[in-house]
Amino acid sequence: MTMLQETTQDLLCARIAMLQKATHALTRALTLKDFGAQFAGVVQEMFSPVDVHVLFRPEGSVWWQPLMSGNAESGGGALPPVTDEPTPECVVRELPSGVAVSQRLSDGAAFRFYCIRDSAMTGDADLDVITLRLLAYFFDTSYHELQTRKKRKELVFSLNHRLLQLNSLIDTGIEVTKLEARESPQRLALERAAALTNASAGRVRVLRGDLLREEVCFPEGANVAPGWVTKSRIEAEFVFGEETYQFELYNKESRDGVEQFDATDHLLLDALVRQVHASLENRYLHTQALEKQRLEQDLLVAASIQEKILPAKLPDIPGYDIAGINIPSKSVGGDYYDCIPLADGRCALIMADVAGKGIPAALLVSSLHAYLRAYLESGIPLVDLVRRLNQVIYTASTDDKFITAFVAILTPETGTIESVSAGHNPVYCMRADGTVQELNAGGIALGMLEMDFPYQGEITVIDKGEGVLLYTDGIPEAADATMELYESHVPLKEFLLQHRHLSARQFIAGLIHDIRSFTGNAPQNDDITALYVVRSR
Amino acid sequence: MDQQFTLTKEVRGECLIVTTSGYINNVGGEAIASECGAHFANGIQDVILNLEYSKVVNSIGMSYIIEIIERLQETGGTLVFTNLDAAVEKMLSIMGLFKYARKEATVADALSALGRKGVGHESR
Repeated sequence: MTMLQETTQDLLCARIAMLQKATHALTRALTLKDFGAQFAGVVQEMFSPVDVHVLFRPEGSVWWQPLMSGNAESGGGALPPVTDEPTPECVVRELPSGVAVSQRLSDGAAFRFYCIRDSAMTGDADLDVITLRLLAYFFDTSYHELQTRKKRKELVFSLNHRLLQLNSLIDTGIEVTKLEARESPQRLALERAAALTNASAGRVRVLRGDLLREEVCFPEGANVAPGWVTKSRIEAEFVFGEETYQFELYNKESRDGVEQFDATDHLLLDALVRQVHASLENRYLHTQALEKQRLEQDLLVAASIQEKILPAKLPDIPGYDIAGINIPSKSVGGDYYDCIPLADGRCALIMADVAGKGIPAALLVSSLHAYLRAYLESGIPLVDLVRRLNQVIYTASTDDKFITAFVAILTPETGTIESVSAGHNPVYCMRADGTVQELNAGGIALGMLEMDFPYQGEITVIDKGEGVLLYTDGIPEAADATMELYESHVPLKEFLLQHRHLSARQFIAGLIHDIRSFTGNAPQNDDITALYVVRSR
Repeated sequence: MDQQFTLTKEVRGECLIVTTSGYINNVGGEAIASECGAHFANGIQDVILNLEYSKVVNSIGMSYIIEIIERLQETGGTLVFTNLDAAVEKMLSIMGLFKYARKEATVADALSALGRKGVGHESR
């Protein structure tokens, strides 16, 4: 081997070693630009030319883009024209000012680099050509590695992004249901939809007919007014109650500019919008449930109050047998009865029925109970008492509320009963001779009219074995499944006469049993209340 | 609610602290990458990205952040996220960024953590 051959061989080995050393740096390049710069560095180190230019032409393009445009000292002047179409085989073109190397890359793209020199590179043209071809091969394989790495990264990124979209969809569904009532689920969904679809901006509009009730923009303050330039746009909407919720996303972003939204973006937006819809419905139902729960609690409180108002135990009146019952049709009824011993030994008998049921009725019963007790203690005449009750109940009630009532004062020693009926159904007075007298003198129902209405009273006397039955219309109007009324089946007067031999407690129990037998499984539509007083001696 | 994107920066020794506000999308991500790129040439080793005022990040914005991480990996530097909103933290976690970047509660914590590593420097 000659000395020249040894020198050439050594040089080639040195260059190959240089290439191997450069491989690591080149394959770690993050971008094509970095890659070009790294490659230019390798060429520079290998040939020490005046300048190196690296050009790249993407697949399908006719334009060459510079990856490395010469060093600063050279000023990156105009490059000598090369018209060769790059081929899979490396083409080395000698130029007056250096050499140009072109090659088509494995993916159809092409590269070309210029080695600008002011003299021969090594003095061994063959060695230089071999080295340049090696460099081209090196570029191609490293470029292929870069592309593979890039695709792998994109794939991982894409898979992670899909996972993120799914996860975010689930999380958003949970989060919108957890939001406080004052927080807007549409705002959260809009933010998520924009982020997951890479939209530049978005908007939610809540419309009632043509009236805009709410508008949320993302990012806040984004100009998405009509006329704003949108290159791509998707929308979804739903109707909840009387309002239409319109979601819009604008300008899907990419690293290369704005692109069209795809089918996945539509699916994501639709799914998020459905979550908002479900959230609003759930909120509504939850509010309704809370309201119902609150009402039930109110009813329980009202029922508890009314339970205290209704007599837990009727007083013992010497010489009289007395029993009463109240079976409300709802948890809080509108019937009221009582038997109140007065300080002078007399006793007040009361039966009342408020128009309506529930809390308003219970409140009115409570008012009646309070006023009645106060007026009874004052000792005013019964008709005046009822007249005053009319006035205060009128003040305390709404226009649609009134009370029918029967108020009586029993003097136990004489059996005298003074009574006033305020629009209540007649009280039956059972006589010893087997007749029934109706007590119904009085006037209008309490609270019906504001005027100072004069009431009439009446007085009757009951002897031993005689009694009075006070009741509300829930008894005669109790209906069976066919809506036949109890009164038409068994007139209450007849029942009274047929069972007059029973004790007061037995009579009430028998009456309720008879009503139940008649109505069967039909729902109780009205309160059932009765007070039965019989003179026993 | 995220407003239009803004960015503030602070250099402490070899550490760049970037605090963003608003949506980190193409615009936001590019602004962050550009800011970091400008400082890498000046010897910046580590980056603290304070996302306290950025509650929404899209995948384009994230791709820029990944590039910053890759760039830092080249030089042995570190990216530390701070003040992360729960949703953003989960997003970064799913995208696998915490394999290559750190997270700390606050900027002070991040500076402290980088200081222990020996590359962060408090300004005096």
